[in-house]
Amino acid sequence: MGVGDRDHSSIRRLGIYPRNADCAVMDGLARYAGVIPEFDRFVEAIYRPLPVTARINALKTDRDRLLSRLKVAEVACRPFAWYPWGMRMGTDKPGNLVENLMGHIHIQEEISMVCAVVLDPRPGERVLDLCAAPGSKTTQIAMMMENRGLLVANDPANGRVASLRSNCERAGAINVAVTRYDGRRFPAQKFDRVLVDVPCTGQGMARKDPAVLGRWSLKRSLGIQRLQVALLKRGVEVVKPGGTVVYSTCTFAPEENEAVVSRVLDQVRGLSLQEVCVPDLQGSPGLSEVGGSAFGEEMKRCARYYPHQNDTGGFFVAKLVKE
Amino acid sequence: MSQSSLRNRQPFLPVDRGEVAEMMGSRFGIPSEAFEAVSFFRRGRNIWAFSLEDIPDLDYEALGLRFISIRGRVPKPTTYALQLFGRFATKNAVDLSDGEARRFIAGERQQLWAPVEDGYVVVSYRGDVLGCGLYSRGDLISQLPKERRIEGKDMEGFSEGSQGCGR
Repeated sequence: MGVGDRDHSSIRRLGIYPRNADCAVMDGLARYAGVIPEFDRFVEAIYRPLPVTARINALKTDRDRLLSRLKVAEVACRPFAWYPWGMRMGTDKPGNLVENLMGHIHIQEEISMVCAVVLDPRPGERVLDLCAAPGSKTTQIAMMMENRGLLVANDPANGRVASLRSNCERAGAINVAVTRYDGRRFPAQKFDRVLVDVPCTGQGMARKDPAVLGRWSLKRSLGIQRLQVALLKRGVEVVKPGGTVVYSTCTFAPEENEAVVSRVLDQVRGLSLQEVCVPDLQGSPGLSEVGGSAFGEEMKRCARYYPHQNDTGGFFVAKLVKE
Repeated sequence: MSQSSLRNRQPFLPVDRGEVAEMMGSRFGIPSEAFEAVSFFRRGRNIWAFSLEDIPDLDYEALGLRFISIRGRVPKPTTYALQLFGRFATKNAVDLSDGEARRFIAGERQQLWAPVEDGYVVVSYRGDVLGCGLYSRGDLISQLPKERRIEGKDMEGFSEGSQGCGR
């Protein structure tokens, strides 16, 4: 096949990986060979394009009505087995559907729907989404809260707040208040639940944008770790006793996942790690140790979702409860 | 501090729900009960709809959604307000055919006879609200925000048979 034999350093210099390259030797993925189950299938999956998926927005329509609209419009769709509001769609440009304009659907990657499910917000609660833009998870949480209570959607970046606001308006979310604080210094408040979906190196997004793999380096993972720890620490500080904090990333690097969660568990007293389990969705336990670093047995309660398990992107989710 | 955060120092001031319900009731016949669980606030030249009456003391970029724009001579309900509450309208509402909907979604002005008064109208398609239109002397002018418009050629989900309809 030739391409796989190409000098590795020249590929890196170009910044792009050929589709048929021997992915397993590449930086960033090779290190997971002994960690990710069925590694060959994982490598094969990560270079397949992502299925087109969307979420039905119950704030503006009901499920049967939307599904019958799409049927009339001859747009094929199939709801997920694990989540009735999510569906795969047989169209290349779901953004050009009238149903998208009306806010009846929200285009969202399948696996990213998992964190709101784990967060499990209830109508009338006070919830914080600390790193909210562009608002896919925010609007999903707003929907689960049935447009009641308070959902503070925070993001410091001006440009990203524009897309966040736009998505919340289209979703018809009237319970979302948008703020623009540095998440590490979010003002003292008390929330029932907090989602800390941190910035990360995004290796799990490789099926959407293969360039993320070329940008990854251990240095980058370690560089962003301090921010991730600070955001999660602030998240657990602003949650009420008995409240839930969900930490998530879309990367495979344990430096940004288990390492962050275990450090915060070490530094903040009175936190417990709960088992993440989403029925009918295949996942792997978090890592208790990797490459000589021990994160603790309890890290197995976190969940890792790999692209080949459910034909999605990659994701990491941890659920913490404050005593 | 950036400019936008300075602008946000302008507070959200509570607006009487009855006032907003009266506006939506007199123009569209929407019953006031539709707004029972909604609180309204004014900031700048917009009225915002939010889920709570009491808001925690934070510096907000946005509070719920922009509901009515009071920039012009006549208050204009936003696309998003009508997408949420337009289904309760009993007057000044039009349902479009496939071809008419395509033109509305593309942001166009079109000739259309409809039993409505001149002014802002609820525009729907196949029973679901698309947004706000301005009806003026037999013309329906799309008020969809520019970033939401979809050009005819890019539109998805209209069956083949309906594409030429109404042209």
